[in-house]
Amino acid sequence: MRFSHKRVAASTLLAISLVLATVAAQAAPFGAPHPTGGTWPQSSMTAWIFAQQAAFYRSLSGFIRASKDDGSAMWSLFGISFLYGIFHAVGPGHGKAVISSYLVANEETWRRGVTLSFVSAAIQSIVAVIVVAIAAVLLGATAKSIGTTVHLVEIASYGLIIMIGLRLLFVKGRGFLTALRAFGWREPQLEALFTTSTGLVKLSVDRDGSMSHCALCESDHAHTFHCHGDDDHEHHESAWSHAHGPEPAELAGAGGWRRGFAAVVAVGLRPCSGAIIVLIFALAQDLFWTGVGATLLMGLGTAITVAAIATLAVAARQTAGRIASARSGVGMLFMRAIEVGASALIAAFGGLLLAGYMASEQLWMFTG
Amino acid sequence: MIKLIRAYACAVLMLSLPGAPASAHPHVWVTLRSEILYASDGTVTGVRHAWRFDDMFSAYALQGISHAKKGQYTRAELAPLAQVNVESLKEYDYFTYARGDGKKFNFTEPVDYWLEYANPALVLHFTLPLKTPASTKAFQVEVYDPTIFVDFEFAKDRPVALSGAPPQCELTVDLPHQPTPAEQARLSQLDFAPLDASSAYGEIFANKMRVTCQ
Repeated sequence: MRFSHKRVAASTLLAISLVLATVAAQAAPFGAPHPTGGTWPQSSMTAWIFAQQAAFYRSLSGFIRASKDDGSAMWSLFGISFLYGIFHAVGPGHGKAVISSYLVANEETWRRGVTLSFVSAAIQSIVAVIVVAIAAVLLGATAKSIGTTVHLVEIASYGLIIMIGLRLLFVKGRGFLTALRAFGWREPQLEALFTTSTGLVKLSVDRDGSMSHCALCESDHAHTFHCHGDDDHEHHESAWSHAHGPEPAELAGAGGWRRGFAAVVAVGLRPCSGAIIVLIFALAQDLFWTGVGATLLMGLGTAITVAAIATLAVAARQTAGRIASARSGVGMLFMRAIEVGASALIAAFGGLLLAGYMASEQLWMFTG
Repeated sequence: MIKLIRAYACAVLMLSLPGAPASAHPHVWVTLRSEILYASDGTVTGVRHAWRFDDMFSAYALQGISHAKKGQYTRAELAPLAQVNVESLKEYDYFTYARGDGKKFNFTEPVDYWLEYANPALVLHFTLPLKTPASTKAFQVEVYDPTIFVDFEFAKDRPVALSGAPPQCELTVDLPHQPTPAEQARLSQLDFAPLDASSAYGEIFANKMRVTCQ
């Protein structure tokens, strides 16, 4: 029985990892090198998505040009932009992996997952519009300075993702250790006796870092230690008790929106290079507002893809939760472990992205 | 339970470890025309490129470049941008990789570079001299972006020419081959194991020019 449970748990674990990771990137982010050449196997979904997004992107310039003289071309442009957003977002970036991990770590609901996906995609589009509006329209900046601006915004975004990941890791790590302790692994790691003005104090620190102090009070004739552990405090499961931050449980409620907002801002800050290029191209044709419309529709398409992947993540987490709840002790520990893993992934993604920026090549490949 | 935790830790590690840098969305398309240059003694001295950017990226690169006449850019007006272009490309080895007789050849910094505006596209002209002239029977130049952010494609007509080559030399142009299933699989993992500049993966999509002289 125990064995089979482990097997089920292990496969669920695998499924979650897949959702967090592989599914988010299942389709390759690479535009077909030669979309017209038909060199990609038709059987592959990846290849198809690939070819579609590259073809859509390349057709955008024609539609933008055409909409100068022909109002109806604008609607085609918007349609293509929307489709491009859907297909393009299957590739890396656009925060799918981070948002999915965030949803798993925080035991979020489907509704919140979808909302966060849409908000982050909206922020992403709006940031692109703002960057181009200020840098190109108002200041007449060169591609080089726009590239630098995007670069800085990216660094800020990745830094925030790392911070969110580390913060979650801290909170969830504590939760995991608490669950571990409940499971019967409690061992004080360090004990020290201090003589203070009020008497003898025994201080012990557990392996999870929780501290308890026991006072042998002189006035107490029974000469017993009165122990006060972290558990006596109100926020016993959270590292944020000292910072008076919200409990993990609160995140799922109304108060959690602020926390969720931080995550979507971190993810959404980084504008998509494609959107910037499309906006500037539109601007060069004196069709800035058409470009803005196209960018917003791209964002809507992106939101749909991200929300679909977020839905998978939430569903996987709920399945795991159902299996885990059948066994209170192990199950609890298992879920906490998943949360820790998801939090670690967020931090890792942030770290990789930040490291990537240094060796990364984006818009500034040619323009410095 | 411990096994389970270990398995998860392992999974997390496996997912997070693979490598550094760079996500790849192609947002720049380059149509490529190249010339392989020969000295009178039959040695290869360098490669001359003319890279035509797609119209959207051209508009992006031209953003904020001051010019006297709307819709026109002179070579002089574009000179600072050409300078920035070749300087930025240095970090990426100019996306140009030369080999011959199993040896790698290095290039020096580009010479004779300028930008031409052929409405609506920008064309970057530059010459890459070889550090030391190559006298090999088989010489090969590949053009590709290891991170596949830039998509290179040979021009339809006369993509490659030989300039001053001995008459017995023969040119072959190879288009990128169809990815194998393994290469396909690698493509779908780019989010976790992104490509960096040191990766040879992009070579699959290389545009190859080969010259063999009997």
